[in-house]
Amino acid sequence: MHMTLRILCLAIALSLTGGRAWASSLGVELTAASSNPRSPRMGDNLSFHTVIRNDGPTPIDGLIAWISLVRIDKGNEQPVDLEDWSAHKAVTAARLAPGEAVRTDWPMRLIQAGTYRVIVSAVSRDSANLTASPFADFTVRRKPVVESRRVLPVAIGIPLLLGGLMFWRWRS
Amino acid sequence: MSAIGSIARKEGGDLLLSPRGLAWLLTMAIVLSVFGLLLVGNTELSLLDNAQVVYDMGGIVTALGALLAVVVGTDAVAGERERGTLVSLLLTPASRNSILLGKLGGQAIAWGVMYAIALPYFWAVGSTGQNLADGAVSVALFGTPVVLGFGFLAMGLGARLESARSSLLCGLIALLLSASPLLLGPSLRQSAIGRAFDAVNPFSGALNAYDAVIIDSQSILAQLPHFAVTLVWLALTLWFAARGFSRVSS
Repeated sequence: MHMTLRILCLAIALSLTGGRAWASSLGVELTAASSNPRSPRMGDNLSFHTVIRNDGPTPIDGLIAWISLVRIDKGNEQPVDLEDWSAHKAVTAARLAPGEAVRTDWPMRLIQAGTYRVIVSAVSRDSANLTASPFADFTVRRKPVVESRRVLPVAIGIPLLLGGLMFWRWRS
Repeated sequence: MSAIGSIARKEGGDLLLSPRGLAWLLTMAIVLSVFGLLLVGNTELSLLDNAQVVYDMGGIVTALGALLAVVVGTDAVAGERERGTLVSLLLTPASRNSILLGKLGGQAIAWGVMYAIALPYFWAVGSTGQNLADGAVSVALFGTPVVLGFGFLAMGLGARLESARSSLLCGLIALLLSASPLLLGPSLRQSAIGRAFDAVNPFSGALNAYDAVIIDSQSILAQLPHFAVTLVWLALTLWFAARGFSRVSS
C-alpha cells in the first residue's frame, strides 16, 4: 500500500513538472520507394521515403533526422558506413510548426550482399529522447565482382600470346 | 622521317620487337595475371573492394611503367655511353634535344604498349564494379607524366653520373621513395611530413587522383591539382635531362 502510494505520487509529480520532456511530439514514418527492385542485388539503387511530422501543439526547433543502416546477418551484425553506400546522411529543419511535416528521400547504392535494416531517427533541440522510425528490412543478393570467366581468358591468354610472339620472333 | 621519329622508332623497336625486348612485356603480363588470378574465387568482395582492385591495378601498372622508364632511360644514356654507342649518335647531324626526345619517344611507345596490354586486365577485374572507364582514363592521364618523368630523370642521371650502375641505383631508389604511397595507406601519411610529401610527390598525385575517381566517384576534371603536380614533375625532369644531356661530351 505504501509502495503504491509512492509510485502514484511520483507519477503525478512527473506529469506536472517534466513529463513533457519524455513524450515526443515527433512522428517518423519510413517506407520503401515503390520503384525499388523486388529482389535487389549488389549495384542496384534503393530509395526510402520518410515523413517526419510534428504531431504536437507547439513548434519544434532544431530538427535533425538521420539514417542508420545495420547489417543483421547472423555472425555479421555490424553498422554500415553510409559514405560507402552513397547515402544521404542527415536532414535538418530550423523549425517545424504544429502539423507540419518534412518529407525526405534517402537513396542508397547497394554495395555488399547481406540482410540489412534501415532506421531513420530524429531529435530536436529541446527533446530529451530519440524518435525512431519503424524498421525497413531488405536483402541484397550477391553479384560476383571478379568473375573467373572474365579473368581466366585474359590472365592466361595474354601471357600465352606474348610468349608465342616472343617465340616467333626468336625463331625468325 | 625526322631524327626524333627515327630514334624513337629504333628505341621502341628494340624494346618491343626483339625477343629479348619482349621478355619484359611478358613478365609484366605475368605479374598482372597473377594479380588477377589471386582475386578469382574471392566471393566476399563488395563493389567497393572491386573499385579498390581497379585502383590497385592502376597503381601497379603505373609503378611497372615507371620501373620500365627508369631502366630504359638509364640504358639510353649511361648504358649507351658505357657500350661506346652514344658517341656515334652524338656525331650525327641530329641535335641533342632531338636525340633526347627521340629516346623518350621510344619509352613513350613502350609505355603505350604496356598500357594497352593492361587494359584487358582492367576489364577482367573491374567490369562489374564502378568507374572502370574513368579509372582507365585516369591511369592514362595521370600515370603518363609520372612514367615519362621517371624516364627523363633516369636519362638526366645517366648523363651526369659516370656509371650506368650508379645512375640505375639512384633512379630505382628515387622510384622506391616516390612509389611508397602504394605500400603506405592514406592513414599512415597523415602526419605533417606525410602530407607535405604527398603534396609534392608525383606518384602520390597520380594515386590520389585514381583514388578520387575510381573509389570516391569524383569527376576527372576535379583532379586538376593532382594533374598539376604530375605536370610540374614532368617539366622539372625534362629540364634536368636536357641540362644533363647538353653536357655529355662526344
